[in-house]
Amino acid sequence: MADRMVFEDRNQFLEALRRLVREGLPGERIRVITPFGVPEAEEILSRGRSNVRFFALVGAASGTATGFAFTILTSLSWPLIVGGKPIVSIPPFIIIAFALTILFGALSTFAGFLLLSRLPSLRGIRSGEEVGNAFVILIEDGGRR
Amino acid sequence: MENAEKYAKVDRDILAAMEKPGRLYLAGLAVAAALTVIGGILWAYQIRSGLGVAGYTHPVNWAIYITNFVFWVGIAHSGTLISAVLFLFRARYRTSFNRAAEAMTVFALMVAGMFPLIHLGRSWVFYYLIPYPTQRQLWVNFRSPLIWDVFAVGTYFTVSVVFFYVGMLPDFAVARRLKEGIRKKIYTVLSLGWKGTDREWRHYGMLYLFLAAFATPLVASVHSVVSWDFAMSIVPGWHTTLFAPYFVAGAIFSGTAMVITLVIPLRKAMHLHEYITDDHFESIAKILLFTSLIVSYAYIVEFGMASYGENIFEMEAFRYRALGEFRYLTWAMIFCNSLVPLTLFAKRLRRNTAYLLVVSLLVNVGMWLERFVIIVTSLAHDFDPYVWGTYRPTYVEVGISLGSFGLFFMLYLLFVKNLPVLSITEIKEHL
Repeated sequence: MADRMVFEDRNQFLEALRRLVREGLPGERIRVITPFGVPEAEEILSRGRSNVRFFALVGAASGTATGFAFTILTSLSWPLIVGGKPIVSIPPFIIIAFALTILFGALSTFAGFLLLSRLPSLRGIRSGEEVGNAFVILIEDGGRR
Repeated sequence: MENAEKYAKVDRDILAAMEKPGRLYLAGLAVAAALTVIGGILWAYQIRSGLGVAGYTHPVNWAIYITNFVFWVGIAHSGTLISAVLFLFRARYRTSFNRAAEAMTVFALMVAGMFPLIHLGRSWVFYYLIPYPTQRQLWVNFRSPLIWDVFAVGTYFTVSVVFFYVGMLPDFAVARRLKEGIRKKIYTVLSLGWKGTDREWRHYGMLYLFLAAFATPLVASVHSVVSWDFAMSIVPGWHTTLFAPYFVAGAIFSGTAMVITLVIPLRKAMHLHEYITDDHFESIAKILLFTSLIVSYAYIVEFGMASYGENIFEMEAFRYRALGEFRYLTWAMIFCNSLVPLTLFAKRLRRNTAYLLVVSLLVNVGMWLERFVIIVTSLAHDFDPYVWGTYRPTYVEVGISLGSFGLFFMLYLLFVKNLPVLSITEIKEHL
């Protein structure tokens, strides 16, 4: 199904990867498995930047909005003056909005990562297949990934 | 071939720390567990009898429990500093400490989170602090610093747990490969089926960067919010704008000391000298020295503002702090936090781990005393001499406090034997 090249050395692996791309193999057909992140490989395969960043933005923005909406609307729903402060006291509400920005941002980034990397992967959990510390290049045939 | 061997050696060395524990470890675990149980029993006793068994008096209604809360939240901070801020600054020596520091953050926050509940007396009504739609449609008071605490510390804990877990994800895949039996199964599930494909690594890199970026402002914000529990009141000695930066620096200071306290024995027991070198300790000692200078500066500013401020209540609060009945604690705090760390200007001492361990223990003591002194002396002597009072902790409070140390060290010891203590993939990356 897929051709498989296994390397023990990071540089040899990168060289082979470069050669494959230079030979005109489309990047989409190449998959690599590495023991740690190799940014050069991503560059060679011209994968582009991860879309996880959009999850971070949307999560953080919705956290800010939730923080302000939540504090303001709940204060207005029972307008009780406490300590002589205005019902809608923006400065303290900023603290809540700030905390929720980070909370929602972090959780949504994590969710985005799981979604985009297709984890948790039941197949990965069940298969028990390991490549250890090797750098592996898999070349898939023309069909769907 | 050489590389493959190097990688395999990293796998082996770090996972070797998770082998069968020795006698010393079991003894330590037993002591920690015993302290935890004693603390638990005393808490149960306090719940049954009421807060009267704690040493609270009028006017000192905040004491050791709040001291412990601030202390443990502070300890958590340097974990985030090391794992997130140093990551963004690309500080290489971070790799030696980040896992240990992240674990410390999570456990310290778990311990810290219990203290407001213990301090509540009626612990079971703690949920009043959580904003949820009640029958009476009355929401929490978002103008109260105590509610900010719930949000700040709750967020901090959640983000720290996610960060801790995400950092370990590729390492679980290594543990899954090398372990057998039930452990293999657990690590397999925890690794979520991680394979190390380019897709996984690409998104992982971005995720890690963003989590670091999200966690970084928390280093400054969480302890600022904790400091506002005090600074928002009008109590002399508390009501100052200095408090937020002062507390943040103190938090990083005490947390760095705790990292040193934890990692020096860890390195020795697990034979990790190759991965955690004296150079790394020297770098972290510099953080300790730097934050000590900030804390000392804050002490000077505090006393300076009181003496020049023409506010007799503030003056009295600081006179009492330095010369009143808790003066020994104040001077011990200054000795531990401001004077002892100055010796770290000597390079030879920064590289001497035995000496560093002593300094870090003294700083831990000093920072605990700092919180105690701030909280108790300010309350004991506020505006009206007629209501001045004092405070003595009872055995229940002391026991619960020791129990919190027991719980923290128990969790830490369990972590050391069950999770990879260093970031395996990051170490390989830097080989």
